[in-house]
Amino acid sequence: MQRWLDPQVLNAISGLDLVARTVVDGFIAGLHRSTDFGFSQEFAEYRAYMPGDDLRHVDWNVYARSGRMYLKRFQGETNSVLTLLLDASNSMNFASHPVSKINYARFTAAALAYLAGRQRDAAGLIVFDDEVRNRVRPSGTHGQLARILAALEGAEPRSRTRFEAPLAGFQELLRRRGVVVFISDFYADPGRIIRAVEPLSAHGSEVVLFHVLDPQELRPDLEGPALFVDLETGERMEVSGEYARGRYRERMGEHLTRLAEGARRAGMSHHVLDTGAPLDGALAQYLRVRTAAL
Amino acid sequence: MGLAAPLWLLGLLTVALPLYLHLLRRSSSRPQPFASLMLFEPHQPGTERRRRLRYPLLLSLRLALLALLALAFAGPYVRGRLLAVPPDRLLVLVIDDSASMAARSGAGTRLQQAQRAALAVARSRRGGDRVQVLALDSRVHVLTQPLGDTGAVAAAVDAVTPTDARGSFALLGAVPGALARDAHTPVEIHLFSDLQATGMPADLSELQLPPGVRLVLHPVGGAAPNWTVESVDAPAQVWDPRPARIQAVIAGFGTPAATRTATLFIDGRQAGRAQVAVPAGGRSVASFTAVAIPFGLSRGVVRIDAADALPADDEYDFVMQRAERVHGLFVHQSADTRSPLYFGAAAGAASEAAVQLGDIAVQQLPRQDLAGVSFVILDDVAQLPPLQERRLEAYVRAGGAVLVSLGPAAAQRRDIPVFGGRIGALRRYEGPGQFAVVGQADAAYPPAGSLGEWSGVRFFYAARVDPAGARVGLALADGTPLLMEKRLGAGRVLLFASGFDNLTNDLPLHPVFVAFADRLLRHLAGRPERAAARTVGDYVELRAAGERGSVDVREPDGNRPLSLDQAGKLSSWQLQRAGFYDLQYADGRRDVVAANLPRLESDLRPAPPETLALWQAQARSGAAAAAAGTGSEQPRSLWWYAMAAALALVLLESVVAGRYLGTQRDAP
Repeated sequence: MQRWLDPQVLNAISGLDLVARTVVDGFIAGLHRSTDFGFSQEFAEYRAYMPGDDLRHVDWNVYARSGRMYLKRFQGETNSVLTLLLDASNSMNFASHPVSKINYARFTAAALAYLAGRQRDAAGLIVFDDEVRNRVRPSGTHGQLARILAALEGAEPRSRTRFEAPLAGFQELLRRRGVVVFISDFYADPGRIIRAVEPLSAHGSEVVLFHVLDPQELRPDLEGPALFVDLETGERMEVSGEYARGRYRERMGEHLTRLAEGARRAGMSHHVLDTGAPLDGALAQYLRVRTAAL
Repeated sequence: MGLAAPLWLLGLLTVALPLYLHLLRRSSSRPQPFASLMLFEPHQPGTERRRRLRYPLLLSLRLALLALLALAFAGPYVRGRLLAVPPDRLLVLVIDDSASMAARSGAGTRLQQAQRAALAVARSRRGGDRVQVLALDSRVHVLTQPLGDTGAVAAAVDAVTPTDARGSFALLGAVPGALARDAHTPVEIHLFSDLQATGMPADLSELQLPPGVRLVLHPVGGAAPNWTVESVDAPAQVWDPRPARIQAVIAGFGTPAATRTATLFIDGRQAGRAQVAVPAGGRSVASFTAVAIPFGLSRGVVRIDAADALPADDEYDFVMQRAERVHGLFVHQSADTRSPLYFGAAAGAASEAAVQLGDIAVQQLPRQDLAGVSFVILDDVAQLPPLQERRLEAYVRAGGAVLVSLGPAAAQRRDIPVFGGRIGALRRYEGPGQFAVVGQADAAYPPAGSLGEWSGVRFFYAARVDPAGARVGLALADGTPLLMEKRLGAGRVLLFASGFDNLTNDLPLHPVFVAFADRLLRHLAGRPERAAARTVGDYVELRAAGERGSVDVREPDGNRPLSLDQAGKLSSWQLQRAGFYDLQYADGRRDVVAANLPRLESDLRPAPPETLALWQAQARSGAAAAAAGTGSEQPRSLWWYAMAAALALVLLESVVAGRYLGTQRDAP
């Protein structure tokens, strides 16, 4: 089943729906039933109904007796809200192999949304670059997955990334506790990124930074000098292979370390997604965070 | 060390090309998109390029190759003796064999002195030197190729014999110069000559030798007094039965005042004798009067008792011809009195009574006996009975000559008598300022003369006749043929498309009319004008254009110089020896031509020392190139070394490049 998680295999599948099913089913099939990520339907507790909750999970008996709407909670069942923040700036369009960063991010987001649906979590999506381009409010209703996938399909990269302006608008969208998954290549100063993202965890949400990078961004193997063009700014720069193989890798390492360190201090988790690697890493990380959030 | 053409060093700029290919071009690849340059720093050019040159050995070879080529074209040279070994030379021995070299000088002749001096130079050559022998008179005769065998060179030098031609040193700047250019080694030209002043060109720039050629003069002989029969004034053709008068000019060059005895010989028999007082370095005329000239061709010689250094110019040969007068017939319309008047006057003035021209009216022609007539002129005849026309045609076919002129009366009939053909149209140039002029004259056609002679002659009328294979001697400016000739049997027919009446043209009013009439009559009568004497180097015409048959030329010593092929084809022959030439032309005529030494050779005084010094000074600019033999420094070109190195680099570059390419091909 591992080959169904290979991004290059997924790239050949048309339709994010199918991709998401393939990834998640493959992922779940590979999991042994564990206590950490239970998928049993054992009753755990009641919780008060909140707008957006699926009415199918309302315990009408309790409602009849008490006149209040409660939802039944089960062990391993949703009680969380997954909010996907997808960076659709131009830098996400980079690809040194058939799977671009934006596609990898789409696959990841689609798989997480599908997984959330299976967990009966509410899921929402915000697509942004230097502004919020599209948003799907979190919901656990039937058809939510289709809305999210449609939004992902339309998330074509453009413009450049600015974290401050769009994140200021996220605050009002993230009033519920839950899991916030931030998918981006994070090309900005780590301090500024953390400052911009930190408020998302202010009311108890677990924030996961999925740092999507191409293998050539992580480990460029440039032999000789090359002329690079910045996909976002259009800036041109002659880059030596010697620098790319040495100093650049060091700076990239420093960048990732600072970002991970800043995220850890802010109570967030940072996870690098190599677009050349299978997608199960992201799913496993999500479930780990979700469990902690419950 | 120096450069002959330093501007070629600009070619060093071409080294930028391989540098571009090996360095810059690699770094200027197409832009590659990248997610973000945030973590990059601008590339520092140079450091990596220097360390990461692709194919550094190949680049070095290519740079060296281009630099060498630029250097080679810049003409590098070094001064001094390269490798302490003087270069091999080409010694060109030029021996003057002109007529003056036969002059006595000491025990032998000047030519013998020159040969001895040339042999001495040939024997003094160094091991690698090559020697080439040339003879110089009015032409340059290449006697050998460059040789390293002294014996062969000595044989060639000994084989040089004096000629009767004049010498011209201007040729030294041409032919030996060309040899020098091909030699690729220093060239020394050794000229063995009496260096006559008369052999020098008027413009000394013609003596200029090409660079790299050294000239060494070896004067022989020196100034010597010499008398000569400079010229003879004798009639070439005599028709008058009275005795002739002959005059000879006796000249002295560098001579004291003296009395010389001049003797005239006709056909070997003494015909006169005269004492002449010749002033110092001057001239006098010896006259021979009442000289009886026999019928036919006579060989005349005027000889003086000079006893000087050059006996060959002490006599002067000439040829005279006495012949009977020729009778011609001028036939005209009875009403036309102008044409016989004008033409008869011109003929009488021009041909010195060589031709007796009688005129008759056309009605008298049937009664005229044509047996004693050499030619007939049918002038503007309107009507000619067919019987008379056939009679004239038979006359021409038997060897006679007829000239038909087409005036206004003749143009009334369409057919042209004897000549044949039809009158196509009449050209009338009427009105003020309307006339035609002669626009074309065939200089090789004796009656035509030169075009310049016809300047100013106006034609107001001409008949347009299709030449139809006839030779056109004269034509008007609008292309209308004016004078034509064609063969008919053994004779010839001429057609003049205008008249002689001073109405159809104003030809009779111009001086050329007399000369034209003279040439026309001589041509009709078969008595072309001839010269009494010629000079060695002149050409004699052996046959007219298109004339067939064999000619025979016999030189003064009795040799026949023409091969069978030449006898059947040659149109002219150059006189190469002094004396009497016997000729038999293709049409059977026999003639004798007298050829004399060029009298410029009689002046044995050498060129002034300052002229010779200037000549050698001109050659001195190139003499440095031939200085190896004299011990002075010379520039030696490094062209061949540079080109050889460049060739080696090309081969090496090919090997190295092939190795790289092979590696790339084998790479997976």
